[in-house]
Amino acid sequence: MSEPVASPEPAASHPDSTRTGPGRVLIAIYALFALSASARAGVQIATKFSDAPVAYLLSAFAAMVYVLATVTFAIGSPTARRIAVLSCSVELVGVLAVGTWSLADPASFPDATVWSGYGSGYGFVPLVLPVFGLLWLRRWTGRARTRRTIVPSAGDAGEAAADGHRRAGTDRMSG
Amino acid sequence: MSCVNGAVPTTIIVAGLVLAGYALLMTALNRRMSVILLAALGVLEILLLVEVGLIVAKLAGGERPAGLATLIGYLIAMPLVPVAAAFWGLMERSRWGPAVIAVAGLVAAVLMVRLHQIWPVIHV
Repeated sequence: MSEPVASPEPAASHPDSTRTGPGRVLIAIYALFALSASARAGVQIATKFSDAPVAYLLSAFAAMVYVLATVTFAIGSPTARRIAVLSCSVELVGVLAVGTWSLADPASFPDATVWSGYGSGYGFVPLVLPVFGLLWLRRWTGRARTRRTIVPSAGDAGEAAADGHRRAGTDRMSG
Repeated sequence: MSCVNGAVPTTIIVAGLVLAGYALLMTALNRRMSVILLAALGVLEILLLVEVGLIVAKLAGGERPAGLATLIGYLIAMPLVPVAAAFWGLMERSRWGPAVIAVAGLVAAVLMVRLHQIWPVIHV
């Protein structure tokens, strides 16, 4: 691994994909939620489903949405991006709807779901995550393939384009 | 025993938060992954393995938490966090590599709080 050098233009090995750059962080967080929500819902449904069936089924649904988002972000093809937009939208609507429902009618939720109280049990990450996911996906609609759209710090357009090719080549060799 | 129990999770929380802060600083400074970050992840990994060992020792002593399945899940998942973050962060050739490490640091800290909620005998 090279030393921590300042990189004026962070070159990625797959610059045309939702899995690079900020997407790398999004996928890490989505994978974490996919894993923990699936495991938690699995344990709840297997051991005490009758305690709070609505809450546990919603938890399982949320887990599936997180898994779908993780996989589609990681694939990053145009089709995957479309599915990702859908799953992030469902996620946002879900956290808003279930959040409101859990506050308006606490009796329906004897046990918490991931989306209860707008995700307050998880530091409101479930509320913020789909927003960042949709913002990240928006950068890929229409103007995909332009590396500079994900690198605001790149300088002069013409120079950056010429430099970009050279740097990308150097990077492939060193990495 | 409870003294040892409390010291390790507290160290993990502090180490995780310090690592997250440093990694986010590297992201802000537009730096890539570094040996320092990997070494810090290694330290975090060792601390997590020590904590897993302490909890396994407690389980072997015959004590059981209410949510045993969840606890075992945590024992398996906990040591994987720094390893997964290292691989995923190294694949990224930009400032967002360190940001992935920051997530791992925060997750390690949160896991300690969750462990205490799952089994209150694990002090923080």
